[in-house]
Amino acid sequence: MSKTQKRISKILIANRGEIALRILRACRELSIGTVAVYSDADRAALHVLEADEAYRLGPAPATESYLRGDLILEVARRTGAEAIHPGYGFLSENANFAEACASAGVTFIGPPASAMRALGSKTRARQAADAAGMPRTPGSVKGLASLEEAYAVAEEIGYPVMLKAAAGGGGKGMRAVFSQADLSAAFSAAASEAERAFGSGEVYLEKLIERPRHIEIQVLADEHGNCVSLGERECSVQRRHQKVIEEAPSAVVDEDLRKRMGEAAVRLAKSAGYTNAGTVEFLVDENRNFYFLEMNTRLQVEHPVTELVTGLDLVHLQIRIAQGEPLPFRQEDIHLRGHAIECRVYAEDPDNGFFPSPGKITRLLQPGGPGIREDSGVYEGWVVPLEYDPMLSKLIAFAPTRDAAIARLLRALDEYVIGGIRSNLGLFRRILSDADFKAARIDTGYLDRLLAGNGTTAENADYSAGAALIAAALFESMRSPNGTTSDQNSTKSEMSNWKQTARREGLRAW
Amino acid sequence: MVIQLEINGELRQIELTRADADGQYRASIDSGTALDIAAQMLRPGVLSLQIEGKSYRCVLEESPEGTAIHLAGRRLLYRVDDPRSLKSRRKRHGGAEGPKPVTAPMPGRVVRVLANVGDSVEAHQGIVVIEAMKMQNELKSPKAGRVVQLRVEPGGTVAAGDVLAVVE
Repeated sequence: MSKTQKRISKILIANRGEIALRILRACRELSIGTVAVYSDADRAALHVLEADEAYRLGPAPATESYLRGDLILEVARRTGAEAIHPGYGFLSENANFAEACASAGVTFIGPPASAMRALGSKTRARQAADAAGMPRTPGSVKGLASLEEAYAVAEEIGYPVMLKAAAGGGGKGMRAVFSQADLSAAFSAAASEAERAFGSGEVYLEKLIERPRHIEIQVLADEHGNCVSLGERECSVQRRHQKVIEEAPSAVVDEDLRKRMGEAAVRLAKSAGYTNAGTVEFLVDENRNFYFLEMNTRLQVEHPVTELVTGLDLVHLQIRIAQGEPLPFRQEDIHLRGHAIECRVYAEDPDNGFFPSPGKITRLLQPGGPGIREDSGVYEGWVVPLEYDPMLSKLIAFAPTRDAAIARLLRALDEYVIGGIRSNLGLFRRILSDADFKAARIDTGYLDRLLAGNGTTAENADYSAGAALIAAALFESMRSPNGTTSDQNSTKSEMSNWKQTARREGLRAW
Repeated sequence: MVIQLEINGELRQIELTRADADGQYRASIDSGTALDIAAQMLRPGVLSLQIEGKSYRCVLEESPEGTAIHLAGRRLLYRVDDPRSLKSRRKRHGGAEGPKPVTAPMPGRVVRVLANVGDSVEAHQGIVVIEAMKMQNELKSPKAGRVVQLRVEPGGTVAAGDVLAVVE
């Protein structure tokens, strides 16, 4: 990659939802022009409405739109965008796309394809970790050739073990094995699941860490050989291997551990020739030993918590790095301040098996006030499509201490109303009120245990139930045609009755 | 006026009387003490409520599963209980008797159909798999019985509330 500085004046954002908007806002702040791309399902999406220019890619399925690198490069060529920001997901970790950008003379805002390849497969990343002298979980660094090899490795490191897909992510192709008797079935199940999900049946074996915390280190590297770590994020609150709540800093990481994890992450990034923003994920056991898990070669969903505690803007810095600028600070300039917690707000129903809940947002009242940041991609009246992941927004609280950040988030959740579709706001209220979460007694199994316990997210429903009853009665009295009795069944009367009855009742809509 | 509501599975009765001033009411719940109420509609579906001076913002929501009130960060689903309505009676006397539908709780695309018409199924046995937002969800039989209708095929799209199959 060129070490000369080049000014970027227009960026194509190859993504959708809140992250497209997040990138767009950074571009505005830097006086950089923005080009949005969209599928048929997203014509009215916020990122399309807000961008300077917007171009259709194709039909709703991602394979025919957001994953069509060829069409995206064509739009870049047509609009004169010098750079492409891939966001997260979609093409963000696709080395072939990064390479296609380079040959088309378009700057890919992210690491070079070579670094993505070196770290993209989990087995290759484990080899890179060894080369960089990083601690990792005991186990194989290559795909298992046979069941016999699996038995041998498991015997050597001792049960319980984890089988993992080399190309994996999101918990697919992953099996915990607690005894020799279960290994054979788990091996074939993991391999075939990996083959189906990722087109590669390569699986490897590692020691299972009991009750681990998921803690990751944010790194930033420029094209001049400088690389810094920006502290950790704790992402142990997970469901089905998907992060639900993230925070910075972690309650169990002290200055010494932060320094050792940060140095390990920087060593790995440097050894792979990494540039731009990246995240090195670790498992941390009960004795605070850390083990390398994998490297994510892109901007993470949870980057805002790092931004709040470091005071840095990671997207600004990504763009400056892509322009060939050196990092404007050194490791010793990085100081963490306060505590930030992020909730991933999803269109799903936690009271009903976490069923996805796409559809029209009929009401949206968003929180605000001190220390609240919301990175959202939705608006009232927008129809959340069923083709993409269910994330609506990220609600983030920043406060001087962890306790104050929790209180602030709970306050913001009480202000937040999403109507028309179901959301997981109630789940956050439950987690943030839980004694174990408040005491930071969390690990990657924490949320499953909480959800398996008694009570639903509606457990505090009696709170102000009297007010809800009176409100319901008032709403109902206003919709029944003559406003006198409940005998006229009126549960589905037209909303147009609203205005008439509001007038009659002296309850004008302002 | 008296309104009966089912909220949180409980049947409650609210008596509402309009006072002289605009937006002023008296209300009592389950024949309890009468409370002073001031109500102001801020915009359709958003109500500011003061109960004996305590202030609440209430938001009405219509959804495929029914009507709900959002209040202080909570969402409470309610149903007007009308003793004469067929729906209420059915709900009250509904058991495992008669045909039961398998309905889609959300819009999505049918990925797989796991049963055939005429099959005997157990309660909670998967009947149809639908996908929405990159997640697959198995919709299960509401009761043990026989599949008498299947209204979907793989690849088809469904809306929230659609009947996908009927088990008798």
